[in-house]
Amino acid sequence: MKALQVRGLAVRYGTHAVLQGVDLELGEGEFVGLVGPSGCGKSTLLRCVAGLVSPASGSVSVFGRPVRGPDPEVGILFQDDALLPWRTSRENVALPLRFRGVDRRDSREQDEAWLRRVGLLGAADRYPGQLSGGMRKRVALAQVLAARPKLLLMDEPFASVDAIVRHFLEADVLRLVQEEGISVLLVTHDLEEAIALSDRVAVMSAGPAARVVREFAVPFGRPRDLVGVRSQPAFGVLVEAVWDALRSEVSRMGWEVPA
Amino acid sequence: MIRAAAALCVLGAWELASRLRWLDPFLVPPPSRVASVLYELVGTGQVWPHFRATVWEAVAGLVVGTACGSALGLLSATVRPVAEVLEPVMAVLNAVPRVVLAPLFVIWFGIGTASKVALSFLLVMVVMFFATYTGVREVDPRLVERVRTLGGGRRDVVREVYVPSVSAWVVSGLKVAVGFAFTGAVVGEFVASSQGLGYLLSFAQSTYNASLTLALIGLVVAAILLLFWGFGRLERWWLRWRPTDPEPVRRAPKPAPAARPAEQAP
Repeated sequence: MKALQVRGLAVRYGTHAVLQGVDLELGEGEFVGLVGPSGCGKSTLLRCVAGLVSPASGSVSVFGRPVRGPDPEVGILFQDDALLPWRTSRENVALPLRFRGVDRRDSREQDEAWLRRVGLLGAADRYPGQLSGGMRKRVALAQVLAARPKLLLMDEPFASVDAIVRHFLEADVLRLVQEEGISVLLVTHDLEEAIALSDRVAVMSAGPAARVVREFAVPFGRPRDLVGVRSQPAFGVLVEAVWDALRSEVSRMGWEVPA
Repeated sequence: MIRAAAALCVLGAWELASRLRWLDPFLVPPPSRVASVLYELVGTGQVWPHFRATVWEAVAGLVVGTACGSALGLLSATVRPVAEVLEPVMAVLNAVPRVVLAPLFVIWFGIGTASKVALSFLLVMVVMFFATYTGVREVDPRLVERVRTLGGGRRDVVREVYVPSVSAWVVSGLKVAVGFAFTGAVVGEFVASSQGLGYLLSFAQSTYNASLTLALIGLVVAAILLLFWGFGRLERWWLRWRPTDPEPVRRAPKPAPAARPAEQAP
């Protein structure tokens, strides 16, 4: 069964067509990177899959179920780590279990296990305001994974952290989704990040009425070495190919793009 | 330490100036004279019935004003038509000095306790209305979305996002409201009454008793500072999740806007 199936999806804000005729599929356990010119509607597509935006037409289904609102098997990690500022790391991670009626004491072991897996057990009783940006991201990751999603949607999750922290976060994400067998749809403006992490990269056209125009298979297996993979010849070739596809889309927006 | 030393210096200079008759001791009695009047007031127990009356009025105004102001603020924030009616009324009440209504309240509610509670209530209610109203409207929509996507229902959203978020504003507002509650009670008494600190003040003023006036002012200030300190502690404990370092949590409720109504004259 497909983890995600988007068919002929259209989204409008008023009369403005944001997405038109979007087709996208994700197999179970597959990691797909979604890139496109800025403002093309990548985030809208993601929010649509998350059940936060209703489509004008077309269909979106996860694991065979049509999306009609937030789905317990779909986890979301957005750019802003919207942790509850009045809850400690531990309490934040415990939220999804508490929403399912699991008692605070019963969930304690699981919460701690998740904090340990992101290396933050020592910060369990600190509030988000007392953590660094990278630490907050890791707590947010633990929080999302504690809900045991089977599909994880990420929207520029690492955009606000520095390059070194980012590398470790990427490695954490890749390891954890591999261990849990989670399918991932990652929206990013960073081509190299998309290629380094994904099994497949989908390129969206420039808006308005954006859609998925090209897909590229990434010829590296998982688990993979995030540093080593970038130095392989095939990596450079792929970056160039995706860049070409993207460049022609950006030039359609009226930009003069030197070849 | 520096502040305490400075205060001592000022008091010493004042004492000296008054004793050496640089300042007329009838108009500006030395601090030692004020202190002995204060001591007498407290020591003989004369002041307690008045003190109790004022505190009672202030607390009654604070409790009822907070309850009504918060309830109306909540209602306005959730029901659009209510906000359209109430917000301009509250804005006008907030902009004008509300104590001008004191004489009217005396006519309506008599010279007893009721007119003071009413004035105190009005002052507090406006502050708490804006604290709650703004608190609900400033709730971070990303947190609501977060709770929903983590599987939380409507009740979870209210409990995990709305209640803590709004309560931060309410607690900040309370600190301001305490001062207003006393203002209402004392001013109400000052206008017309038969007991209370405001009544004593009015009496001291009519007999040109500067020592008694200063002693009473000191008493009112001490009472407000004590409550202010108490609420400050409550706020610090309630909002202990707030970062203490300069880097703020984005969109966390800020105390400054909640305190805005305080800038207006009561």
